[in-house]
Amino acid sequence: MAKGFLPCGTYHQDYAHDHAWWQTRFVKGKMIFLAIGLFLIIPHLDSYYVGIVNMIGYTILGALGVDLLIGFTGQITLGHAAFMAVGAYTSALMVLEFPWPKIFIHLGLAYPLSILCGAVLAGLWSVLFGLPSAKVKGFYLILTTMAAQFVTVDFIITQYVARIGGRGQAFSLPPGTIKIGPWIIDSPTKVYYLMIILVLLCIGMVANLLRSKPGRAWMAIRDNDIAAETLGINIIFYKLLSFFVAGFIAGIAGAFWISNLAAISPEHFPWSWSLWLVGVILIGGTGSIQGTIFGSMFMVLVMEALQIGILPLADIYPQLLEKFLFVKESTFGLAICAFLIFEPNGLSYRWWQIKNYFNLWPFSY
Amino acid sequence: MAFVDEIKEGEELLKVDNIYMNFGKVSALAGVSCSVKKGSIHSIIGPNGAGKTVMMNCINGLYHPQQGSIIYKGEKINHLKPHHRAKLGISRTFQKIELFSGMTVLDNIRLGRHIHLKSGILSAAVYLGKTAREEIEHRRFIEEEIIDLLEIEHIRDKTVGMLPYGLQKRVELGRALALDPELLILDEPLAGLNLEEVEDMARFIIDVNEEKRWGVTCVFVEHDMGVVMDLSDDVTVLNFGEMIASGTPEEVQTNPEVVKAYLGAEDMYASRR
Repeated sequence: MAKGFLPCGTYHQDYAHDHAWWQTRFVKGKMIFLAIGLFLIIPHLDSYYVGIVNMIGYTILGALGVDLLIGFTGQITLGHAAFMAVGAYTSALMVLEFPWPKIFIHLGLAYPLSILCGAVLAGLWSVLFGLPSAKVKGFYLILTTMAAQFVTVDFIITQYVARIGGRGQAFSLPPGTIKIGPWIIDSPTKVYYLMIILVLLCIGMVANLLRSKPGRAWMAIRDNDIAAETLGINIIFYKLLSFFVAGFIAGIAGAFWISNLAAISPEHFPWSWSLWLVGVILIGGTGSIQGTIFGSMFMVLVMEALQIGILPLADIYPQLLEKFLFVKESTFGLAICAFLIFEPNGLSYRWWQIKNYFNLWPFSY
Repeated sequence: MAFVDEIKEGEELLKVDNIYMNFGKVSALAGVSCSVKKGSIHSIIGPNGAGKTVMMNCINGLYHPQQGSIIYKGEKINHLKPHHRAKLGISRTFQKIELFSGMTVLDNIRLGRHIHLKSGILSAAVYLGKTAREEIEHRRFIEEEIIDLLEIEHIRDKTVGMLPYGLQKRVELGRALALDPELLILDEPLAGLNLEEVEDMARFIIDVNEEKRWGVTCVFVEHDMGVVMDLSDDVTVLNFGEMIASGTPEEVQTNPEVVKAYLGAEDMYASRR
């Protein structure tokens, strides 16, 4: 996306200033307000609302990887939930089954380490299913990534992994097992703190990658892979790197989400969840980090609003409550159609336009 | 590999030796040879469909010829992929513009610096110290050497897809130069430009060829005979995949076979003189 205008009277004196994230005092002020909102206001809300924010955070973490693949590298993926499942199951198995030394449990290192392991394993698993991207593009790649979903979740996890230790389908996570340092993660507020740290770390990592060598290589592959290769980019390596980073973030997302659940089962990672994440970035705007944030907020909040709006109507039309799932899914479809027709660049483009307008305000000519 | 490190002015930098390239039963190149001397501008001309772009793609590594060899700095490079050849200092522009249309002008040119950036993925993810310093260093190079040379300061933050054709051609040259190449393949850099833009572009090509700072050897494919005859040191003429003449511009202009196949009688080629 083209760079926005600088506010009137602001000039860059050196390259470091031009490369900085936050370039004006006004933006820095906004960021302070954002930090106050994130760390001081939201945690004190009612735990129901904190739960909604956690859902938004989980969606952001998932959509970030999808956006990296679809929006920045141009490799369309429809199997992202599989990599989240790999992260979640690795983390859960490590916490429950791994013979940790007493000191690790005592210090609460087991869960943080398992997040890291889950992320790396999910990244490698993602590379495995990204390998066909060396040969195929477009529709064919969609099919191979869908294979990731069916092979991983529907076959390997449902048939084998979920049965480890004689469990039936769901892994229950007894209270107290999810522990980071001295804190046991047992309330939405604590989950929120974990979430906000992970989301900020992941967004920071992706944003930094995108403004340096690997990110430019990814965008070059998206826009024109032949020209990219003649300029010295090893296309296969960078495609697989993109799959690795996307899988890594998906692994973090999955491993984080078990802290919010009493039990995990393969049903938490259905194929429709992969599709949902693609919808999120379409609404937010592909190829934009803000897009994943806005898209996630939009989708989660619209679904919540739908629930609040429909419940009172249930007395009159009981069918609505019974068929709520269908209402939800048709709203999702309708939202995507509406965005593709009326705002194909997504919410983030609108945001960019508004910001740009006020940067030049009141002399916008 | 044993590449010759120092090649002096006037010695052979690239040698295309008797290459054959067939697509099915169509023979696109049949036994073409040429020798590009360091520091020269070597033009390849010929009618449409003569195999000029195929030859460029062979040099660049997008196509691999079925027979014959391509020798760069005294070493055969037939088996190398395009990105390996870029690291050896071979850069190119395309006949049909192949820019990264979603990225800004600056990012396009920065991408040309790709092979010179050393920082790894972990350092890039943190973007402190090494990567940040490196980005600024390369930004300085891009601003002072390339954007200044090509006079595109005013569009550096614009998205490339929105720019007019002439400027896009110029950005493409800038991106190819950012590689700091030794051999630059220019595939019809003047196609579709107006007279003023042609003159600008010709000036840039002479600049990068003759200035001490650049000293880039150019392989130049073009239809504009006025510019070709003025700029080039050597000319190779192709027709239906076969080489029909090779030599200095004067020799080629007077070669009866070239006149018959391509230039035409009278001096039609001199329309822009």
